[in-house]
Amino acid sequence: MDLGVNLAPRHKVELRLRNPVMTASGTFSNGLEIARHFDVDELGGVVSKGTTLRPRRGNPTPRTVETPAGMINSIGFQNIGVSALISNVAPVWAQWQVPCIVNIMGDTVPEYGQLAARLDGIPGVAGLEVNISCPNVGVGGLEFGQDPRAAREVVSEVARHTSLPFLVKLTPSVSDIRPIAEAVALAGGHALTVSNTIPALAIDPKRRQPHLATVFGGLSGPAVKPITMRNVYLASSVVDIPVVASGGAMSGLDVVEFIMAGASAVQIGTASFVDPEAPWRCLRELRAWCEAEGVSSLDEIRGVARRLD
Amino acid sequence: MRRFEAEVTESARLYGSTHVLWLRREDALRTITPGQFVMLTCGEGADPLLGRAMSIHRLREGSAGPEWSILFDIVGRGTEWLSQRRDGDLVRVVGPLGRGFEPRPRVQRLLLIGGGIGCAPLIWLADEVAAEGREVTLVLGGRTEAQIFPPHLLPPAVEVIVTTEDGSLGERGRVTAPFERLLPWCDQAFACGPEPMFGALHEVARRSGLRKPVQALLEARMGCGFGICYSCAVFPRRGGVKLVCHDGPMFDLRDLY
Repeated sequence: MDLGVNLAPRHKVELRLRNPVMTASGTFSNGLEIARHFDVDELGGVVSKGTTLRPRRGNPTPRTVETPAGMINSIGFQNIGVSALISNVAPVWAQWQVPCIVNIMGDTVPEYGQLAARLDGIPGVAGLEVNISCPNVGVGGLEFGQDPRAAREVVSEVARHTSLPFLVKLTPSVSDIRPIAEAVALAGGHALTVSNTIPALAIDPKRRQPHLATVFGGLSGPAVKPITMRNVYLASSVVDIPVVASGGAMSGLDVVEFIMAGASAVQIGTASFVDPEAPWRCLRELRAWCEAEGVSSLDEIRGVARRLD
Repeated sequence: MRRFEAEVTESARLYGSTHVLWLRREDALRTITPGQFVMLTCGEGADPLLGRAMSIHRLREGSAGPEWSILFDIVGRGTEWLSQRRDGDLVRVVGPLGRGFEPRPRVQRLLLIGGGIGCAPLIWLADEVAAEGREVTLVLGGRTEAQIFPPHLLPPAVEVIVTTEDGSLGERGRVTAPFERLLPWCDQAFACGPEPMFGALHEVARRSGLRKPVQALLEARMGCGFGICYSCAVFPRRGGVKLVCHDGPMFDLRDLY
């Protein structure tokens, strides 16, 4: 059984995963804590915490709240900054077999370029994930992901500054994800991550206040899976670059469903909060499913659920 | 850290509206220290989704081997579900987690301050250090008598002081009064309770000028319990940001304020 997948088939530097199960940015820290307990090299890929040019303390607390079959978060990009990532984290990644991908977020278009340039050629960094979809920061993030022209600018800027393969992480907060997906693919993005958390709000009736210090946050968890499923289906029907599903996968069967909708790989996010072994469990369940169904390559099921129109 | 299923051996309301749940001790919890915690999944499916952080409350030798317990008030769906578990039920656990209390090896006099349900991890600490022959005073504070852990359930060697805000049991007032009185006596202090209690204790400790080491065990809203979701941030006085689950939950009180 070959579960391998290349997330940058059109790029001179490949991004080859041994299987389609990845970790989602912001749900695995930078992997160093989890790697003390579990074998990260068994996974398809690891995506870092969202990383900015300078370190950030993040938002005040409360930062998260549980909601029906999900949670809303507003962490606000607490991260160590790209310099510390390069000097303290990348050298550890360089010892790993699993491809490690840095999720980058800039306040401005040139910042995306600077981040891409800093990470180019760093041993241990196999690729980038360009975040144009974070709902929890004042500037940057989401606003680049809601306008095809702005998205194209960010993507071109990143492409100019790195030889690394890169994914572009889209937002579900658009009426139609297809124009953004097409714009990103045209501008040179090597793959899409579909998608990010969904802007949301929860009120605490006892305090008569929003639960989160920042009022709004992003919804994730199994509650968002059907929304992600639709966006994966739509995006993968209009682009010929790989689509990575991110949003709501809790099990190996969820991974199978996302692949049937058109995904090449699937990120495990909030599931890891509940069960630190979730990515490994999803992988085991995916293998067991393929075995039971006589599927020997994921190409056999990729996009099979899509109706041609 | 591991994820495992633990079998319930006893579930009971212990006092007021506070419950105790005893579970069979798995290999994963072989080496644990007071102040460490676990995440408990409170349900069968994806709702409620996230685990609930619970300090390990006590250890004992059960009829079929070693057991551990949690002590909790019903505050929502998760704790409601936990309170309904019965003997033989299984609960999914991630643990052990965090950095617990670190009593210095040679200190003789330990002062323990528990506010409300914050007494949970201190009971085990009291059990341990009393068994080692050290002097322990445990201050239990609450709004009213129903919130006070029953002192007769503690080892006789532990001196217990009770404070209630309404005066229904022990001294009328808050834990800060006995803390202030006993700070000169103790070699090291340990506290667990609501956030405002730590601020009040710090103020007393600072005014005393004694520079006694006080270890604070923080409670925080957690998503994961092991440093990947970044929910439980604290912002120490000197700047930066720490995660309660991963860098704590035990912090030196002086580093926080």
